[in-house]
Amino acid sequence: MTERSRPAAPIFQQILQNRYAGALFSLLLVSAIVAATQPVFLTWPNLMNIVKSNSVVFVLAIGATFVVIAGAIDLAVASATAACAMVLGLLLVAGMPAYVAIPAALLFGGFLGAINGTLISYFKISFFVVTLGSLSMFQSFALIVNDGGSISVFSSPGFAPISAFVNGNIGAVPIILVFDLALLLIAGGVLRYTAFGRALYAIGANTEAARLNGIDVKRIMLLVFVIAGLMAGLGSVVQVGRLTSASAEIDPTLLLTVLAAVLIGGTAYTGGEGGVFGTMIGVLFLGVIQNGLTLSGVSSFWQGMVSGLILILAVWLGGLRQVLRRRRQARIG
Amino acid sequence: MSLAVVEQRCEPADAPPPPRAGAAELVRVEGISKSFPGVRALNDVSLTIRPGEVHALTGENGSGKSTLSRIIAGMMKPDEGRIFVDGRECTIDSPAAALGMGIVMISQELTLAPTLTVAENIFLGRLPRTRLGLVDWSRLEEDAALALARLDVHVSPHARVGDLSVEFRQEVEIARALSANARLLILDEATSSLSEAATARLLERVRQERDAGMAILMITHRMPEIYAVSSVATVLRDGNLVATVALPEATESQLVRLMVGREINDFYGKRSIPVGDRVLRIRDLHTPAGILRPTSLEVRRGEIVGIAGLVGSGKSEFGLALGGAIPGAGEVEVDGRPVRLGDPRSAIAAGIGFVPDDRKSSALLLVRSVLENFSLAWMDRLCRAGLLDTRRERSQVEAAVKKYHVAAASPAVAIATLSGGNQQKVILGRTFARQPSVLVLSEPTRGIDVGAKSEIYRMLQDAAEAGAGVVVISSELPELLGICDRIAVFFEGGLAAEFNRDEATEEAIAHVAVAGTGSRAHADDRYEELE
Repeated sequence: MTERSRPAAPIFQQILQNRYAGALFSLLLVSAIVAATQPVFLTWPNLMNIVKSNSVVFVLAIGATFVVIAGAIDLAVASATAACAMVLGLLLVAGMPAYVAIPAALLFGGFLGAINGTLISYFKISFFVVTLGSLSMFQSFALIVNDGGSISVFSSPGFAPISAFVNGNIGAVPIILVFDLALLLIAGGVLRYTAFGRALYAIGANTEAARLNGIDVKRIMLLVFVIAGLMAGLGSVVQVGRLTSASAEIDPTLLLTVLAAVLIGGTAYTGGEGGVFGTMIGVLFLGVIQNGLTLSGVSSFWQGMVSGLILILAVWLGGLRQVLRRRRQARIG
Repeated sequence: MSLAVVEQRCEPADAPPPPRAGAAELVRVEGISKSFPGVRALNDVSLTIRPGEVHALTGENGSGKSTLSRIIAGMMKPDEGRIFVDGRECTIDSPAAALGMGIVMISQELTLAPTLTVAENIFLGRLPRTRLGLVDWSRLEEDAALALARLDVHVSPHARVGDLSVEFRQEVEIARALSANARLLILDEATSSLSEAATARLLERVRQERDAGMAILMITHRMPEIYAVSSVATVLRDGNLVATVALPEATESQLVRLMVGREINDFYGKRSIPVGDRVLRIRDLHTPAGILRPTSLEVRRGEIVGIAGLVGSGKSEFGLALGGAIPGAGEVEVDGRPVRLGDPRSAIAAGIGFVPDDRKSSALLLVRSVLENFSLAWMDRLCRAGLLDTRRERSQVEAAVKKYHVAAASPAVAIATLSGGNQQKVILGRTFARQPSVLVLSEPTRGIDVGAKSEIYRMLQDAAEAGAGVVVISSELPELLGICDRIAVFFEGGLAAEFNRDEATEEAIAHVAVAGTGSRAHADDRYEELE
């Protein structure tokens, strides 16, 4: 084959073609606009407030990223969080210490994920149907266990360590920020440097090719839903810590925000592409917009309109990026 | 015979004859150039297509032939150059515009809707209507049955396209094109997924349409097809027009030399490899639900065994069952150890390396890199306690890229950017690198160019020489005859006959494949059963 010299693509094309650059650029642009109009935006307390108020979404979105990379979607993520929160609340109210209640909430989340994963992998039911069904069932479970009532855990002895973890600071740095970054590094490492991570990408890119090359697709898919469940358990701990109570009602925007963050972050909903770094950018992007609207005094009713629009726009731009890349790399012949 | 003057950009020792100046032109392109960022795909290419003529457009992968055909079919716009239809200059800016001028393309990528029926697909976008504007189902069915009968395709108009095999789908696509009143039919590697019999039927159809006055542009690198129907051939190389020559005056070796720019001496490169102990023993292998009847076969180390047969003969199911891709029953032993059927992991553990026929749907991770596509098959060897040794991965993949001559800018580029031949080398390379005792390859050279084919034949023989037993399932008889020590012919779901290398001829094999031990009528019945 003859070698041809390849001139570098124009800079804006390169930006469009990098998986994360687009989302990162949008994040910086939106931040600049908000900072210019709302001086309070760029203060440390406000920025840390964004981090804190989005850490539930962040934890859940890490789990959702794994699921989406493997080519599936977990619609039950918000319901599972509510169910786990109720379990955590009941245990705390019953006087259980944090070191029992937290692992129990995580395990319960893992158990819920295992139900989804087993139905999908071993009963061969579509992930869409299974998680749509469990969305409804987990939600119902959260309402049933305390007859629809929230559980205030503020005065429970086990709540203090949870609150310290979720709301506390080391100097000026929130503990939850350190925790989020650690979670990001671990999740990124798992995706990049483990056989499990590679298997996720392979299954998302081409399930049959993965299977024919010896990847145990059923086990991996079970595992990925268990991870999503564990993250729902973890998310419930953060949520209960922030609200000082376990709410049986599900935050109606949570599912949309989690999935939107994953997709805005450049993970392809068709599977096989993406990563947690992009998801972090997606979470921050939505968080900054929400913060900007609040600071500007715009009614919170508008936030759903804005995040929905941005989701569609981001996926459209993502598609555009792929078209550009394909064109550039198109095989001639 | 008057000689047209044609641009000649290379100087072969004995120049092949230029084409005859023919009848009126239908489509003429002049000075077409097309660049993709960093690559010039077409450089000042001119071409004339006449009614009643099959014009072969040929060249290796990457030569620009598909780009040119996409431009004529309105799927891509040229950067420079002009297109004339019926002598009038025009722009073809969409496939719909092309269709309006009677230009229809059948590409190697199938474009059918899998959930619709055969009839709906044939008339997609132009379903017959009743006076009320509703779909006229009875007329649709009649028209579809007629279109299929004209093509001699034995498929029910009611069948869901998704339930059909690749070959039948292609035939449906052809029926769709022909029923659209095409004046110029562009066949882009249309035979690359067809069996011998289906190819013969298609070529017969092409001949009929040609004689009825249709213009046909046939993109292919299969020499027998070019010579079977074409009277003129244009050869592209690296985006440049090398020559337009008259056929059959220009010989096959002249054409190949124009394509590759060098001589390919011994195409198959068959070596004599000493045969060792029995490595694969198959007893009564069959598929519980599917087409394959109980079949027994033995393969020895160093032996290359070919599997021939028509679509539906069970040959592809035989490969899939051996690779664990579909459930199977019976006994399979590798080196005396039984293999658990229906489980790819067990097949791999037993030392079976399986390469499926459909690269895109069951072998490649198209959105991932060359590196990840290689190491997909090596995960167990590159990981310790679940952790991936990325440095080792990189060095092993780099070595493999070099060893198997994969033309890629770097292991980090997406596999989708490679040509079919290079993609196939990645798939074979990752399988061969595990040094399996048994290799089962389904259509290993489908849709790839001459140069890459020759390299793959060499790779197969390297594997056999290293002691593997090789099973090659192929619809291309010449390649089986060229590389195999033994050829097993499948008919109606099972093994019908076996030929040794010295007694195998194309005629004898084709006879068994079509008729088994019986008559042609049987083969026709079988098509009916498949519906």
